[in-house]
Amino acid sequence: MSHPVLEARDLLRRFSNGRGVGPLNLLVSQGEVLALVGPNGCGKTTLLRCLATRSTPGQGEVLWFGDRDPALARPRLGVVFDATAHADELSARENLAFFASARGAPVGPSTPLLSQAELSDVADEPVASYSYGMRRRLLLAEALAGDPELLLLDEPTLGLDVAGQRWLADVLQERAARGTAVCISTNDTEFVESAATRVCFLVDGLAVHDSPLDELLASLGGSREIHLTSRSQLPVERLRCVPGVEGVALVEGGAIVLAHQREGLLADLLATMGDLDRTLVDLSVREPGLADCFLRITGRALGD
Amino acid sequence: MTENAPAMGLKTSAPPRTPGTGPRSLWQLELRATLSRRRALAIKMGFPLLLVIPLVATDAPQFFAGMLLTILIAMVGTVGTGVSVTRSRGSGWLDRLAVLPLPRWRISLEIFFAGWLVDCVQATIVFLVLELAQRPDPFAILTTWLLALATLGFSGAIGLAVATLTDNAGEAMLFLAVILAPMLFLSGLFTGVPATGIRYWVAQVLPFSYLSDGFQLCLHGNPPYGSSMSFLLAAIGFGIVAVGASAALGRALLARGA
Repeated sequence: MSHPVLEARDLLRRFSNGRGVGPLNLLVSQGEVLALVGPNGCGKTTLLRCLATRSTPGQGEVLWFGDRDPALARPRLGVVFDATAHADELSARENLAFFASARGAPVGPSTPLLSQAELSDVADEPVASYSYGMRRRLLLAEALAGDPELLLLDEPTLGLDVAGQRWLADVLQERAARGTAVCISTNDTEFVESAATRVCFLVDGLAVHDSPLDELLASLGGSREIHLTSRSQLPVERLRCVPGVEGVALVEGGAIVLAHQREGLLADLLATMGDLDRTLVDLSVREPGLADCFLRITGRALGD
Repeated sequence: MTENAPAMGLKTSAPPRTPGTGPRSLWQLELRATLSRRRALAIKMGFPLLLVIPLVATDAPQFFAGMLLTILIAMVGTVGTGVSVTRSRGSGWLDRLAVLPLPRWRISLEIFFAGWLVDCVQATIVFLVLELAQRPDPFAILTTWLLALATLGFSGAIGLAVATLTDNAGEAMLFLAVILAPMLFLSGLFTGVPATGIRYWVAQVLPFSYLSDGFQLCLHGNPPYGSSMSFLLAAIGFGIVAVGASAALGRALLARGA
Protein backbone atom coordinates (compact mmCIF):
# COMPACT_ATOMS: atom_id res chain seq x y z
CA MET A 1 0.00 0.00 0.00
CA SER A 2 1.56 3.29 -1.07
CA HIS A 3 1.13 6.30 1.20
CA PRO A 4 -0.11 9.68 0.03
CA VAL A 5 2.83 12.05 -0.06
CA LEU A 6 1.05 15.08 -1.41
CA GLU A 7 -2.58 15.99 -1.17
CA ALA A 8 -4.44 19.08 -2.37
CA ARG A 9 -7.93 19.51 -0.96
CA ASP A 10 -10.29 21.94 -2.66
CA LEU A 11 -7.25 23.97 -3.65
CA LEU A 12 -8.13 27.31 -5.22
CA ARG A 13 -5.83 30.08 -6.36
CA ARG A 14 -7.32 32.49 -8.87
CA PHE A 15 -5.99 35.86 -9.96
CA SER A 16 -8.00 39.00 -10.56
CA ASN A 17 -8.20 38.20 -14.30
CA GLY A 18 -9.85 34.85 -13.50
CA ARG A 19 -6.80 32.82 -14.47
CA GLY A 20 -5.27 30.44 -11.99
CA VAL A 21 -6.27 27.08 -10.71
CA GLY A 22 -9.00 25.31 -8.77
CA PRO A 23 -10.98 24.34 -7.01
CA LEU A 24 -9.42 20.92 -7.40
CA ASN A 25 -8.34 17.87 -5.45
CA LEU A 26 -5.15 16.00 -6.11
CA LEU A 27 -3.31 13.09 -4.57
CA VAL A 28 0.22 11.90 -5.26
CA SER A 29 1.41 8.69 -3.63
CA GLN A 30 4.80 7.15 -3.02
CA GLY A 31 6.35 5.82 -6.21
CA GLU A 32 3.99 7.69 -8.50
CA VAL A 33 4.98 10.01 -11.33
CA LEU A 34 2.03 12.31 -11.85
CA ALA A 35 2.01 14.55 -14.91
CA LEU A 36 -0.13 17.68 -14.91
CA VAL A 37 -0.90 18.17 -18.58
CA GLY A 38 -2.71 21.05 -20.18
CA PRO A 39 -2.34 23.90 -22.65
CA ASN A 40 -0.53 27.13 -21.82
CA GLY A 41 -2.37 29.23 -19.26
CA CYS A 42 -4.37 26.33 -17.84
CA GLY A 43 -2.91 26.79 -14.34
CA LYS A 44 -0.20 24.12 -14.28
CA THR A 45 2.51 26.41 -12.98
CA THR A 46 0.21 28.10 -10.47
CA LEU A 47 -0.75 24.69 -9.13
CA LEU A 48 2.84 23.50 -8.99
CA ARG A 49 3.91 26.64 -7.11
CA CYS A 50 1.23 25.94 -4.50
CA LEU A 51 2.33 22.33 -4.24
CA ALA A 52 5.99 23.41 -3.98
CA THR A 53 5.24 25.68 -0.97
CA ARG A 54 6.06 28.80 -3.00
CA SER A 55 2.48 30.10 -3.22
CA THR A 56 -0.33 29.92 -0.73
CA PRO A 57 -3.75 28.82 -2.00
CA GLY A 58 -6.55 31.34 -1.64
CA GLN A 59 -8.81 28.55 -0.42
CA GLY A 60 -8.36 24.90 0.42
CA GLU A 61 -5.20 23.32 1.68
CA VAL A 62 -2.16 21.30 0.73
CA LEU A 63 -0.85 18.46 2.86
CA TRP A 64 2.72 17.32 2.49
CA PHE A 65 3.40 13.95 4.09
CA GLY A 66 0.13 14.39 5.96
CA ASP A 67 1.09 17.76 7.42
CA ARG A 68 -0.08 21.28 6.58
CA ASP A 69 3.16 23.03 7.55
CA PRO A 70 5.22 23.94 4.46
CA ALA A 71 8.32 24.55 6.58
CA LEU A 72 8.30 20.91 7.68
CA ALA A 73 7.88 19.76 4.08
CA ARG A 74 10.68 21.80 2.50
CA PRO A 75 13.62 19.61 3.61
CA ARG A 76 11.92 16.69 1.83
CA LEU A 77 11.19 18.49 -1.47
CA GLY A 78 13.17 18.83 -4.67
CA VAL A 79 11.78 21.67 -6.76
CA VAL A 80 12.45 23.00 -10.26
CA PHE A 81 10.74 26.17 -11.44
CA ASP A 82 11.03 27.66 -14.91
CA ALA A 83 13.68 30.24 -13.92
CA THR A 84 17.27 29.08 -14.36
CA ALA A 85 18.68 31.49 -11.78
CA HIS A 86 22.00 30.46 -10.25
CA ALA A 87 24.99 32.08 -8.64
CA ASP A 88 26.35 32.64 -12.14
CA GLU A 89 29.87 33.53 -11.09
CA LEU A 90 30.29 30.20 -9.32
CA SER A 91 30.70 26.75 -10.80
CA ALA A 92 28.08 24.02 -11.12
CA ARG A 93 29.90 22.14 -8.35
CA GLU A 94 29.65 25.12 -5.99
CA ASN A 95 26.01 25.79 -6.82
CA LEU A 96 25.13 22.15 -6.32
CA ALA A 97 27.04 22.06 -3.03
CA PHE A 98 25.03 24.98 -1.73
CA PHE A 99 21.60 23.62 -2.67
CA ALA A 100 22.40 20.17 -1.33
CA SER A 101 23.79 21.62 1.86
CA ALA A 102 20.79 23.90 2.35
CA ARG A 103 18.55 20.83 2.24
CA GLY A 104 20.71 19.17 4.88
CA ALA A 105 22.30 16.71 2.46
CA PRO A 106 25.82 17.92 1.71
CA VAL A 107 27.44 16.41 -1.37
CA GLY A 108 31.14 15.82 -1.90
CA PRO A 109 33.09 17.38 -4.77
CA SER A 110 32.86 14.11 -6.73
CA THR A 111 29.08 13.75 -6.59
CA PRO A 112 27.75 11.46 -9.36
CA LEU A 113 24.88 13.87 -9.97
CA LEU A 114 27.06 16.11 -12.12
CA SER A 115 28.21 13.26 -14.31
CA GLN A 116 24.65 11.91 -14.56
CA ALA A 117 23.58 15.34 -15.76
CA GLU A 118 26.54 15.27 -18.19
CA LEU A 119 28.06 18.33 -16.60
CA SER A 120 31.23 16.79 -15.16
CA ASP A 121 33.43 18.22 -17.94
CA VAL A 122 32.28 21.75 -17.18
CA ALA A 123 31.57 21.32 -13.46
CA ASP A 124 34.28 23.78 -12.45
CA GLU A 125 33.46 26.46 -14.99
CA PRO A 126 31.30 29.43 -13.99
CA VAL A 127 27.62 28.81 -14.64
CA ALA A 128 27.56 32.11 -16.55
CA SER A 129 29.31 30.31 -19.39
CA TYR A 130 26.63 27.61 -19.67
CA SER A 131 24.02 27.29 -22.36
CA TYR A 132 20.34 27.31 -21.39
CA GLY A 133 20.14 23.52 -21.65
CA MET A 134 23.15 23.07 -19.37
CA ARG A 135 21.60 25.38 -16.80
CA ARG A 136 18.41 23.35 -16.91
CA ARG A 137 20.40 20.16 -16.35
CA LEU A 138 22.07 21.76 -13.36
CA LEU A 139 18.68 22.80 -11.97
CA LEU A 140 17.53 19.20 -12.19
CA ALA A 141 20.72 17.91 -10.55
CA GLU A 142 20.23 20.40 -7.71
CA ALA A 143 16.63 19.26 -7.23
CA LEU A 144 17.72 15.62 -7.14
CA ALA A 145 20.51 16.18 -4.62
CA GLY A 146 19.87 14.60 -1.26
CA ASP A 147 17.25 12.12 -2.55
CA PRO A 148 14.14 14.22 -1.83
CA GLU A 149 10.99 12.24 -1.13
CA LEU A 150 8.86 14.48 -3.32
CA LEU A 151 9.98 16.01 -6.62
CA LEU A 152 8.00 18.90 -8.08
CA LEU A 153 9.19 19.86 -11.55
CA ASP A 154 7.77 22.64 -13.69
CA GLU A 155 8.33 22.02 -17.42
CA PRO A 156 11.30 19.74 -16.70
CA THR A 157 12.11 19.04 -20.35
CA LEU A 158 12.46 22.69 -21.25
CA GLY A 159 15.83 23.19 -22.96
CA LEU A 160 16.79 19.52 -22.78
CA ASP A 161 17.93 17.69 -25.89
CA VAL A 162 16.71 14.17 -26.69
CA ALA A 163 19.48 12.56 -24.64
CA GLY A 164 18.70 14.88 -21.74
CA GLN A 165 15.02 13.98 -21.86
CA ARG A 166 15.87 10.29 -21.90
CA TRP A 167 18.18 10.78 -18.92
CA LEU A 168 15.47 12.61 -17.03
CA ALA A 169 12.82 9.99 -17.78
CA ASP A 170 15.19 7.26 -16.57
CA VAL A 171 16.04 9.18 -13.40
CA LEU A 172 12.40 9.83 -12.56
CA GLN A 173 11.46 6.20 -13.10
CA GLU A 174 14.42 5.03 -11.05
CA ARG A 175 13.57 7.45 -8.21
CA ALA A 176 9.91 6.46 -8.34
CA ALA A 177 10.87 2.81 -8.10
CA ARG A 178 12.67 3.71 -4.86
CA GLY A 179 9.50 5.31 -3.50
CA THR A 180 9.93 8.95 -4.48
CA ALA A 181 6.72 10.73 -5.43
CA VAL A 182 7.05 12.92 -8.50
CA CYS A 183 4.76 15.63 -9.83
CA ILE A 184 5.62 17.31 -13.13
CA SER A 185 3.79 19.99 -15.05
CA THR A 186 4.30 19.89 -18.79
CA ASN A 187 2.64 19.77 -22.17
CA ASP A 188 5.39 17.59 -23.62
CA THR A 189 3.24 14.50 -24.16
CA GLU A 190 6.05 12.36 -25.54
CA PHE A 191 7.99 12.87 -22.32
CA VAL A 192 4.92 12.13 -20.22
CA GLU A 193 4.40 8.87 -22.10
CA SER A 194 8.00 7.88 -21.35
CA ALA A 195 8.12 8.92 -17.70
CA ALA A 196 4.72 9.25 -16.01
CA THR A 197 2.57 6.67 -14.33
CA ARG A 198 -0.50 8.88 -13.94
CA VAL A 199 -1.86 11.84 -15.84
CA CYS A 200 -4.09 14.69 -14.78
CA PHE A 201 -5.54 16.89 -17.53
CA LEU A 202 -6.05 20.53 -16.61
CA VAL A 203 -8.34 22.86 -18.52
CA ASP A 204 -8.99 26.42 -17.37
CA GLY A 205 -7.56 25.60 -13.95
CA LEU A 206 -9.78 22.57 -13.37
CA ALA A 207 -8.74 18.91 -13.25
CA VAL A 208 -10.97 17.42 -15.95
CA HIS A 209 -9.47 13.95 -15.96
CA ASP A 210 -7.15 11.97 -13.72
CA SER A 211 -6.17 8.38 -14.44
CA PRO A 212 -3.21 6.01 -14.84
CA LEU A 213 -1.29 6.57 -18.05
CA ASP A 214 -1.62 2.93 -19.13
CA GLU A 215 -5.41 3.06 -18.88
CA LEU A 216 -5.53 6.29 -20.78
CA LEU A 217 -3.40 5.03 -23.65
CA ALA A 218 -5.20 1.68 -23.73
CA SER A 219 -8.46 3.53 -24.26
CA LEU A 220 -7.08 4.65 -27.61
CA GLY A 221 -6.91 1.08 -28.96
CA GLY A 222 -8.18 1.03 -32.52
CA SER A 223 -8.14 4.80 -32.85
CA ARG A 224 -6.17 6.81 -35.33
CA GLU A 225 -4.98 10.40 -35.42
CA ILE A 226 -5.65 12.03 -38.78
CA HIS A 227 -3.89 15.30 -39.58
CA LEU A 228 -5.59 17.42 -42.22
CA THR A 229 -3.60 20.33 -43.59
CA SER A 230 -5.70 22.78 -45.56
CA ARG A 231 -5.51 26.23 -47.14
CA SER A 232 -9.01 27.04 -45.90
CA GLN A 233 -11.06 26.69 -42.73
CA LEU A 234 -12.25 23.11 -42.27
CA PRO A 235 -15.88 22.32 -41.32
CA VAL A 236 -15.24 21.13 -37.78
CA GLU A 237 -18.85 20.52 -36.84
CA ARG A 238 -19.53 18.44 -39.98
CA LEU A 239 -16.35 16.41 -39.38
CA ARG A 240 -17.47 15.69 -35.83
CA CYS A 241 -20.65 14.09 -37.19
CA VAL A 242 -18.77 11.52 -39.29
CA PRO A 243 -19.32 8.05 -37.77
CA GLY A 244 -16.31 6.93 -35.72
CA VAL A 245 -14.95 10.44 -35.13
CA GLU A 246 -14.15 10.91 -31.44
CA GLY A 247 -12.83 14.45 -31.53
CA VAL A 248 -11.79 17.24 -33.85
CA ALA A 249 -9.54 20.15 -33.01
CA LEU A 250 -8.55 23.04 -35.20
CA VAL A 251 -4.83 23.65 -35.26
CA GLU A 252 -2.72 26.09 -37.21
CA GLY A 253 -3.07 25.24 -40.91
CA GLY A 254 -5.72 22.56 -40.49
CA ALA A 255 -7.24 20.14 -38.02
CA ILE A 256 -6.54 16.99 -36.08
CA VAL A 257 -9.22 14.32 -36.17
CA LEU A 258 -9.24 11.47 -33.70
CA ALA A 259 -11.35 8.63 -35.01
CA HIS A 260 -11.97 4.95 -34.46
CA GLN A 261 -10.41 3.01 -37.32
CA ARG A 262 -12.94 1.58 -39.77
CA GLU A 263 -13.23 0.89 -43.44
CA GLY A 264 -14.16 3.95 -45.47
CA LEU A 265 -13.33 6.43 -42.75
CA LEU A 266 -11.02 8.58 -44.86
CA ALA A 267 -13.44 8.57 -47.76
CA ASP A 268 -16.24 9.73 -45.45
CA LEU A 269 -14.09 12.51 -44.06
CA LEU A 270 -13.22 13.75 -47.53
CA ALA A 271 -16.83 13.53 -48.61
CA THR A 272 -17.89 15.59 -45.60
CA MET A 273 -15.52 18.31 -46.61
CA GLY A 274 -17.29 18.68 -49.95
CA ASP A 275 -15.59 21.20 -52.24
CA LEU A 276 -13.15 22.07 -49.51
CA ASP A 277 -11.20 18.89 -50.24
CA ARG A 278 -9.63 20.83 -53.14
CA THR A 279 -7.90 23.06 -50.64
CA LEU A 280 -6.48 20.08 -48.78
CA VAL A 281 -2.70 20.20 -48.89
CA ASP A 282 -1.85 17.11 -46.88
CA LEU A 283 -3.46 14.21 -45.06
CA SER A 284 -1.58 11.88 -42.75
CA VAL A 285 -2.64 9.08 -40.43
CA ARG A 286 -0.65 8.47 -37.24
CA GLU A 287 -0.71 6.27 -34.19
CA PRO A 288 -2.53 8.23 -31.50
CA GLY A 289 -0.89 9.32 -28.26
CA LEU A 290 -1.56 11.23 -25.11
CA ALA A 291 -2.36 14.42 -27.00
CA ASP A 292 -5.26 12.54 -28.63
CA CYS A 293 -6.53 11.43 -25.22
CA PHE A 294 -6.58 15.10 -24.28
CA LEU A 295 -8.45 15.92 -27.47
CA ARG A 296 -11.03 13.19 -26.93
CA ILE A 297 -11.64 14.07 -23.28
CA THR A 298 -11.57 17.85 -23.46
CA GLY A 299 -12.56 18.45 -27.09
CA ARG A 300 -9.54 20.73 -27.38
CA ALA A 301 -6.08 20.34 -28.83
CA LEU A 302 -3.26 20.54 -26.32
CA GLY A 303 -1.79 23.47 -28.17
CA ASP A 304 -4.98 25.55 -27.86
CA MET B 1 23.76 38.14 -8.85
CA THR B 2 21.80 35.93 -11.11
CA GLU B 3 21.83 37.11 -14.67
CA ASN B 4 20.29 34.68 -17.07
CA ALA B 5 22.21 32.48 -19.43
CA PRO B 6 23.92 33.73 -22.53
CA ALA B 7 22.58 32.63 -25.86
CA MET B 8 22.14 28.90 -26.23
CA GLY B 9 25.30 27.06 -26.90
CA LEU B 10 27.54 30.09 -26.63
CA LYS B 11 30.32 29.80 -24.15
CA THR B 12 32.43 32.58 -22.76
CA SER B 13 36.10 32.07 -22.07
CA ALA B 14 35.71 32.20 -18.30
CA PRO B 15 38.43 30.24 -16.56
CA PRO B 16 37.60 26.98 -14.79
CA ARG B 17 37.51 27.17 -11.02
CA THR B 18 39.48 24.92 -8.76
CA PRO B 19 37.31 22.19 -7.27
CA GLY B 20 37.06 22.45 -3.54
CA THR B 21 34.60 22.67 -0.74
CA GLY B 22 31.45 24.33 -1.96
CA PRO B 23 29.64 27.07 -0.07
CA ARG B 24 27.61 25.60 2.77
CA SER B 25 25.48 28.62 3.49
CA LEU B 26 23.78 31.38 1.60
CA TRP B 27 26.03 34.17 2.85
CA GLN B 28 29.09 32.20 1.80
CA LEU B 29 27.60 31.64 -1.64
CA GLU B 30 26.67 35.31 -2.04
CA LEU B 31 30.08 36.45 -0.82
CA ARG B 32 31.93 34.06 -3.12
CA ALA B 33 29.83 35.24 -6.05
CA THR B 34 30.62 38.89 -5.27
CA LEU B 35 34.34 38.19 -4.86
CA SER B 36 34.35 36.36 -8.19
CA ARG B 37 33.33 39.51 -10.05
CA ARG B 38 36.84 40.89 -9.93
CA ARG B 39 36.48 43.86 -12.25
CA ALA B 40 33.29 45.06 -10.60
CA LEU B 41 34.90 44.55 -7.22
CA ALA B 42 37.97 46.59 -8.20
CA ILE B 43 35.74 49.45 -9.37
CA LYS B 44 33.64 49.21 -6.21
CA MET B 45 36.70 49.36 -3.99
CA GLY B 46 38.43 52.05 -6.01
CA PHE B 47 35.67 54.58 -6.52
CA PRO B 48 35.49 55.90 -2.90
CA LEU B 49 39.10 56.98 -3.39
CA LEU B 50 37.96 59.29 -6.18
CA LEU B 51 35.95 61.17 -3.59
CA VAL B 52 37.96 60.95 -0.40
CA ILE B 53 41.42 61.72 -1.83
CA PRO B 54 40.44 65.10 -3.38
CA LEU B 55 38.49 65.98 -0.23
CA VAL B 56 41.44 65.47 2.10
CA ALA B 57 44.08 66.65 -0.36
CA THR B 58 42.37 69.99 -0.94
CA ASP B 59 41.40 70.58 2.70
CA ALA B 60 37.76 70.89 1.72
CA PRO B 61 35.54 72.50 4.39
CA GLN B 62 34.76 69.85 7.01
CA PHE B 63 31.00 70.35 6.79
CA PHE B 64 30.95 69.64 3.04
CA ALA B 65 33.45 66.80 3.30
CA GLY B 66 31.40 65.20 6.09
CA MET B 67 28.23 65.57 4.05
CA LEU B 68 29.76 64.03 0.90
CA LEU B 69 31.33 61.10 2.73
CA THR B 70 28.05 60.40 4.55
CA ILE B 71 26.15 60.44 1.27
CA LEU B 72 28.77 58.06 -0.12
CA ILE B 73 28.22 55.61 2.75
CA ALA B 74 24.41 55.90 2.46
CA MET B 75 24.51 55.30 -1.29
CA VAL B 76 26.88 52.34 -1.01
CA GLY B 77 24.60 50.63 1.51
CA THR B 78 21.24 51.30 -0.10
CA VAL B 79 22.11 50.92 -3.77
CA GLY B 80 24.34 47.88 -3.32
CA THR B 81 21.79 45.85 -1.40
CA GLY B 82 18.68 47.31 -3.03
CA VAL B 83 19.70 46.72 -6.62
CA SER B 84 21.26 43.30 -6.12
CA VAL B 85 18.27 41.95 -4.17
CA THR B 86 15.86 43.46 -6.68
CA ARG B 87 17.74 41.69 -9.47
CA SER B 88 17.66 38.45 -7.51
CA ARG B 89 13.90 38.77 -7.29
CA GLY B 90 13.52 39.52 -10.98
CA SER B 91 15.69 36.58 -12.05
CA GLY B 92 13.80 34.05 -9.93
CA TRP B 93 16.71 33.49 -7.55
CA LEU B 94 14.60 34.37 -4.51
CA ASP B 95 11.92 31.97 -5.78
CA ARG B 96 14.46 29.21 -5.64
CA LEU B 97 15.66 30.19 -2.18
CA ALA B 98 12.09 30.40 -0.91
CA VAL B 99 11.48 26.67 -1.36
CA LEU B 100 14.64 25.69 0.52
CA PRO B 101 14.27 24.65 4.16
CA LEU B 102 15.69 27.93 5.44
CA PRO B 103 13.72 30.36 7.62
CA ARG B 104 12.66 33.55 5.86
CA TRP B 105 14.53 35.76 8.32
CA ARG B 106 17.71 33.79 7.77
CA ILE B 107 17.57 34.07 3.98
CA SER B 108 17.18 37.83 4.12
CA LEU B 109 19.76 38.23 6.89
CA GLU B 110 22.36 36.14 5.06
CA ILE B 111 21.89 38.07 1.81
CA PHE B 112 22.13 41.31 3.78
CA PHE B 113 25.21 40.13 5.68
CA ALA B 114 27.17 39.12 2.57
CA GLY B 115 26.52 42.50 0.94
CA TRP B 116 27.32 44.33 4.17
CA LEU B 117 30.71 42.59 4.53
CA VAL B 118 31.83 43.84 1.11
CA ASP B 119 30.45 47.32 1.80
CA CYS B 120 32.42 47.38 5.06
CA VAL B 121 35.68 46.83 3.19
CA GLN B 122 34.72 49.66 0.85
CA ALA B 123 34.03 52.00 3.78
CA THR B 124 37.22 50.96 5.55
CA ILE B 125 39.26 52.17 2.58
CA VAL B 126 37.83 55.64 3.18
CA PHE B 127 38.88 55.52 6.82
CA LEU B 128 42.36 54.33 5.95
CA VAL B 129 42.81 57.40 3.77
CA LEU B 130 41.46 59.62 6.54
CA GLU B 131 43.81 58.02 9.06
CA LEU B 132 46.84 58.42 6.82
CA ALA B 133 46.06 61.96 5.69
CA GLN B 134 44.49 63.54 8.77
CA ARG B 135 45.79 61.58 11.81
CA PRO B 136 42.56 62.13 13.73
CA ASP B 137 42.02 61.25 17.37
CA PRO B 138 42.18 57.40 17.52
CA PHE B 139 38.94 57.06 19.53
CA ALA B 140 37.14 59.45 17.20
CA ILE B 141 38.10 57.56 14.06
CA LEU B 142 37.40 54.18 15.65
CA THR B 143 33.91 55.16 16.78
CA THR B 144 33.16 56.92 13.48
CA TRP B 145 34.30 53.81 11.61
CA LEU B 146 31.98 51.65 13.72
CA LEU B 147 29.20 54.15 13.11
CA ALA B 148 29.87 53.97 9.35
CA LEU B 149 29.56 50.18 9.47
CA ALA B 150 26.26 50.50 11.35
CA THR B 151 25.07 53.12 8.86
CA LEU B 152 25.91 50.73 6.02
CA GLY B 153 23.72 48.16 7.76
CA PHE B 154 20.92 50.67 8.24
CA SER B 155 21.17 51.70 4.58
CA GLY B 156 21.27 48.05 3.52
CA ALA B 157 18.01 47.48 5.40
CA ILE B 158 16.49 50.37 3.43
CA GLY B 159 17.71 48.63 0.26
CA LEU B 160 16.04 45.39 1.36
CA ALA B 161 12.81 47.26 2.10
CA VAL B 162 12.86 48.77 -1.40
CA ALA B 163 13.41 45.30 -2.89
CA THR B 164 10.10 44.23 -1.37
CA LEU B 165 8.39 46.88 -3.52
CA THR B 166 9.74 46.08 -6.97
CA ASP B 167 11.65 43.51 -9.00
CA ASN B 168 12.93 46.10 -11.46
CA ALA B 169 16.40 47.51 -10.76
CA GLY B 170 15.68 50.88 -12.41
CA GLU B 171 12.53 51.31 -10.37
CA ALA B 172 14.45 50.35 -7.25
CA MET B 173 16.93 53.19 -7.91
CA LEU B 174 14.03 55.59 -8.18
CA PHE B 175 12.50 54.39 -4.92
CA LEU B 176 15.87 54.66 -3.20
CA ALA B 177 16.33 58.24 -4.33
CA VAL B 178 12.83 59.15 -3.18
CA ILE B 179 13.40 57.59 0.23
CA LEU B 180 17.01 58.59 0.80
CA ALA B 181 16.92 62.26 -0.27
CA PRO B 182 14.46 63.42 2.42
CA MET B 183 16.26 61.30 5.00
CA LEU B 184 19.56 63.00 4.21
CA PHE B 185 17.91 66.41 4.28
CA LEU B 186 16.21 65.74 7.60
CA SER B 187 19.54 64.53 8.98
CA GLY B 188 20.82 68.06 8.46
CA LEU B 189 23.41 67.09 5.89
CA PHE B 190 22.70 70.06 3.63
CA THR B 191 21.80 72.74 6.16
CA GLY B 192 22.96 71.53 9.55
CA VAL B 193 20.68 70.28 12.30
CA PRO B 194 18.57 73.00 13.93
CA ALA B 195 18.81 73.26 17.73
CA THR B 196 15.10 72.64 18.29
CA GLY B 197 11.97 71.50 16.51
CA ILE B 198 10.92 68.41 14.67
CA ARG B 199 13.97 68.36 12.40
CA TYR B 200 16.19 68.17 15.45
CA TRP B 201 14.33 65.11 16.73
CA VAL B 202 14.19 63.42 13.34
CA ALA B 203 17.95 63.88 12.98
CA GLN B 204 18.43 62.07 16.30
CA VAL B 205 16.76 58.90 15.01
CA LEU B 206 18.70 58.70 11.74
CA PRO B 207 22.33 57.57 11.61
CA PHE B 208 23.35 60.01 8.88
CA SER B 209 23.45 63.06 11.15
CA TYR B 210 25.78 61.27 13.59
CA LEU B 211 27.98 59.99 10.79
CA SER B 212 28.31 63.40 9.22
CA ASP B 213 29.39 64.79 12.58
CA GLY B 214 31.79 61.89 13.01
CA PHE B 215 33.48 62.59 9.68
CA GLN B 216 33.76 66.26 10.61
CA LEU B 217 35.44 65.28 13.85
CA CYS B 218 37.88 63.03 12.00
CA LEU B 219 38.67 65.97 9.70
CA HIS B 220 39.49 68.11 12.74
CA GLY B 221 36.22 70.01 12.50
CA ASN B 222 34.02 71.01 15.37
CA PRO B 223 30.57 69.46 14.89
CA PRO B 224 27.85 71.00 17.05
CA TYR B 225 26.45 67.76 18.52
CA GLY B 226 29.15 65.16 18.02
CA SER B 227 31.18 63.30 20.58
CA SER B 228 32.98 60.00 20.19
CA MET B 229 30.87 58.39 22.89
CA SER B 230 27.61 59.40 21.20
CA PHE B 231 28.96 57.92 17.94
CA LEU B 232 29.70 54.65 19.70
CA LEU B 233 26.23 54.46 21.23
CA ALA B 234 24.67 55.37 17.88
CA ALA B 235 26.72 52.65 16.17
CA ILE B 236 25.44 50.04 18.61
CA GLY B 237 21.85 51.24 18.38
CA PHE B 238 21.66 51.54 14.61
CA GLY B 239 23.52 48.25 14.20
CA ILE B 240 20.84 46.49 16.23
CA VAL B 241 18.09 48.24 14.24
CA ALA B 242 19.74 47.18 10.95
CA VAL B 243 20.02 43.52 11.91
CA GLY B 244 16.50 43.41 13.34
CA ALA B 245 14.96 45.15 10.34
CA SER B 246 16.80 42.94 7.85
CA ALA B 247 15.59 39.79 9.57
CA ALA B 248 12.05 41.15 9.85
CA LEU B 249 11.96 42.03 6.15
CA GLY B 250 12.58 38.41 5.14
CA ARG B 251 8.93 37.41 5.19
CA ALA B 252 7.86 40.45 3.13
CA LEU B 253 10.73 39.97 0.68
CA LEU B 254 9.94 36.32 -0.01
CA ALA B 255 6.19 36.84 0.06
CA ARG B 256 6.48 38.91 -3.12
CA GLY B 257 5.81 36.79 -6.16
CA ALA B 258 4.36 34.02 -4.03
